[in-house]
Amino acid sequence: MTPNTPRESQPFSFAQDKLTFLLTLVPYLLDRGRVSVADAAAHFQVGEKQIREAVSLIAVSGVPGETTQYQHGNLFDISWDDFDERDEIVITHKVALDDSPRFSAREAAALIAGLQYLQSLPENIDGGVYSSLMDKLARGASERPSQVAVARTDATESLSEVRDALDRRVQLEFDYLSSRGSHERRRVDPLRIDSDDENWYLRAWDHLREAVRTFRLDRMTQVAVTDAPVSGTHDDVRLGDRLFQGGDDDQLVTIEIDPSATTLLGEFLASVDEEPTDATAAASGRVRARIRVAHIHGLTRLVTSMPGAVTVIDPPEARAAVVDWATAALTGYDREGSESREGRPDHRVE
Amino acid sequence: MSSEKRQPAPIPVEERLFSLVLALLATENGLTKSEILSTVQGYRQRYATRGDNASLERQFERDKDDIRELGVPLETIDAPGDPGNNQTLRYRIPRAGYELPADIAFSPSETALLNLAAMAWREGSLSRESRRALLKLRSIGAETSDPLLGYAPRIRTRDAAFGPLNDALSKGVIVSFPYLKPGDPTARLRTVVPLALVQHQGRWHLKAIDQGVGEPRTFLLSRITGPVKLSRTASPSVPGDHAASALAELESIWQANVALIEVRPGTDASVRLVRRRGASLDDDGRVLLHFTDAALLADELAGFGPEVRVLGPERLVDAVIARLEAAVAAHRTDGHAASAASASTEVRP
Repeated sequence: MTPNTPRESQPFSFAQDKLTFLLTLVPYLLDRGRVSVADAAAHFQVGEKQIREAVSLIAVSGVPGETTQYQHGNLFDISWDDFDERDEIVITHKVALDDSPRFSAREAAALIAGLQYLQSLPENIDGGVYSSLMDKLARGASERPSQVAVARTDATESLSEVRDALDRRVQLEFDYLSSRGSHERRRVDPLRIDSDDENWYLRAWDHLREAVRTFRLDRMTQVAVTDAPVSGTHDDVRLGDRLFQGGDDDQLVTIEIDPSATTLLGEFLASVDEEPTDATAAASGRVRARIRVAHIHGLTRLVTSMPGAVTVIDPPEARAAVVDWATAALTGYDREGSESREGRPDHRVE
Repeated sequence: MSSEKRQPAPIPVEERLFSLVLALLATENGLTKSEILSTVQGYRQRYATRGDNASLERQFERDKDDIRELGVPLETIDAPGDPGNNQTLRYRIPRAGYELPADIAFSPSETALLNLAAMAWREGSLSRESRRALLKLRSIGAETSDPLLGYAPRIRTRDAAFGPLNDALSKGVIVSFPYLKPGDPTARLRTVVPLALVQHQGRWHLKAIDQGVGEPRTFLLSRITGPVKLSRTASPSVPGDHAASALAELESIWQANVALIEVRPGTDASVRLVRRRGASLDDDGRVLLHFTDAALLADELAGFGPEVRVLGPERLVDAVIARLEAAVAAHRTDGHAASAASASTEVRP
C-alpha cells in the first residue's frame, strides 16, 4: 500500500461486521496453521489490536455441546504461550467452523457493480477477466446477487496518457482551462487518478504552483507524456479523499437551499442551519446554508444550473453575478420575457 | 477460562451472534427456539426457565435477520406431523449452503481488481457490504498483487432513496415514494415493485413496475422527493435480468435523443461538451450531444450560461430558457427572496 491509496483500517463499528470478521478470520487461521498477529493484521488490513481481540474471543467460544455447558472440548482453543509470549496465533482445537462463508446477495452485487464501473479503466484487461470474476462472485453468493448495475462510461481520451505517465513515473504536460476561465500550459508529477461517477480527475504535484492540485481530465488538452522523471520527493504527500481543498482566500456565501439538494453541493458546503430563519423560508421548506467558494464565478454556474433548488442570499455581488450570467445567456435566445413552455414531459424516463 | 467467570459482564453482541452461528452449524437436526435461548451463549444468561422470554425471543428474531443479511442460510425445519408450529420448529445452518464452494479461488491480479471495485464504494451506501465481501476474499487466503495502484475510483450514491430502495430490492418487497415528474405541479405517491437499481450517465435510476398502471417504468432517484416506505407485501417474482435490460433501455433513449448546441470558442463549454461520450461536431462547428433526460441536460446547459446557445430540440430550448429566467427572477435585487421561492417551484433538480 502506498500512501496515495485510500486505506480501510478503521475498526468495525457494527456487530454484523464484527461477526463477519470472526467468521472469516477462523478459516484463514486454520489454513495458515501458525501466523503472527502482525501478518494477520496486514492480510486483513485491520489493526493488530483488532486481531488480538478477535482471537481472544474465538478462543473462549464454541458450542453448548451435549452437556449444554460449553465444556472444554466444545470450545475453540489456541496455544496461549505462543499468543501471549510470541504474538503468534495457533488454533489447537476447532469447533463447527472450517470454511469461509459465502457472499450475501448484496455483497456480491456491490463487487459486481464495482467491476462494471472499473471496465472504463484503460488497463487493457481482457473483458473475459471481468466476466469470469463476476461469474465467480455470483456462484459464491448464497442467493442471486441483487439487481444493481453501473453503466460503463467511456473515459475521457486523456486518461490513457495520464495513466501512462503515472505508471512510468514521468512528468506530464497539458493545456489547462481553469475554472476561472484562464488557459495555461501546466507541467505536473502525476500522483493519483480519482474518479467520481463519470468524472475523472488527476491529483498531481503542479510545478508552476509548487503544490498538489486537482485537475479535471475533461479540461485538459494537448496532453503530452514527457521523458522527464518525476522528482520523487512527494511520495510522502498524503492525499485526502476530498478532491478540492479550501484556500485562505475562499469566500463564504450565504444561500437558501432545498434540503434535498444539499448533497449536490458536495465539497462546497461549509455549514447548514438547523432551523429555517424566517416564515418565508419555512414555508418554502428551505434552509439557509453557507458555502465556501474560491471565486464567485464557479458558484454562478452552479446556481444557474439549479435555480429551483438554490438561491444566493449574500453577498449582493454574488446575486448580481447570477443575474448577469443568466441574462447574458438569455440574450442568445429570441424570446426574452416569454412564458415558460416547459411542461411537455419526456415520456420515457418518468 | 470458563464461561462462568465472565457471566457478570454483559455478553457483546458479536459474541452472541458468533455463538449462534457456531451452534446452528454444529447441529445436524436443528435446534428449537427454546433450546437455543436456554443454551446458547449470550441468550442463556438472560433466559428465564419458568417465565416470560418475550424480549429474548424478539432479540432472537432480530439476530436471525442480521445473520441472514450476511449471506448465512439460516433455515427452518418443521417438525414431522407438526407443521407450522413455532415451538417445535427447528433451526439450523446447512454447511453446503454456508460454505463458499471449494473451487472458487481468486488470483492475485483478480484480487487487486476486486479490492479496487470495493474501494469504489467507500463512500456509498454499499461500503459495508464491499468491506465484508473483501473480508471473505481474504478469508480464503486471497493475496493481492498491486498493478492498479494509483487509482481512487468512487461511485457515489448521493440520493437518499438509494439505501431504502436497495433494502427493498434485497428483501423483495413493494415500496412507495413521492415522485415529482418534470412538468407536474406536485409530487405524486407511487407504489412500485422494484426490479433494479442502475447508474447511467452518473445518475441512479430505479426500474420498477408501477402498481398504479401495472407497467414497468424508470424513475430517477433524484426526483424522489420524500421518504421511501417499505411495505410488508412481497414483490411478485418477475423473471429477467432487469439491471441489464434497464441499462440497455436507457442507452437506446440516450442514443435516440440528440441536442444541437452552439458553443462559444475557448470557453469551458467548448472544451468539455465536445469531449463527452458520443459528442460530435457538425459542419458548422456546432456540438451534437446525446442525452437521456431533457430536464437534467437543461440544468447542466443553463449552468454554462452564455457559453452555450441551445438550438434544439425545442423542449430542451424551452427548459433551458425557463431555468435562466428562474435564476434571474430569484436573484434580481429589486425582487424579494419570497418571489425567488415561488418562481422556483416550476423547476427542480
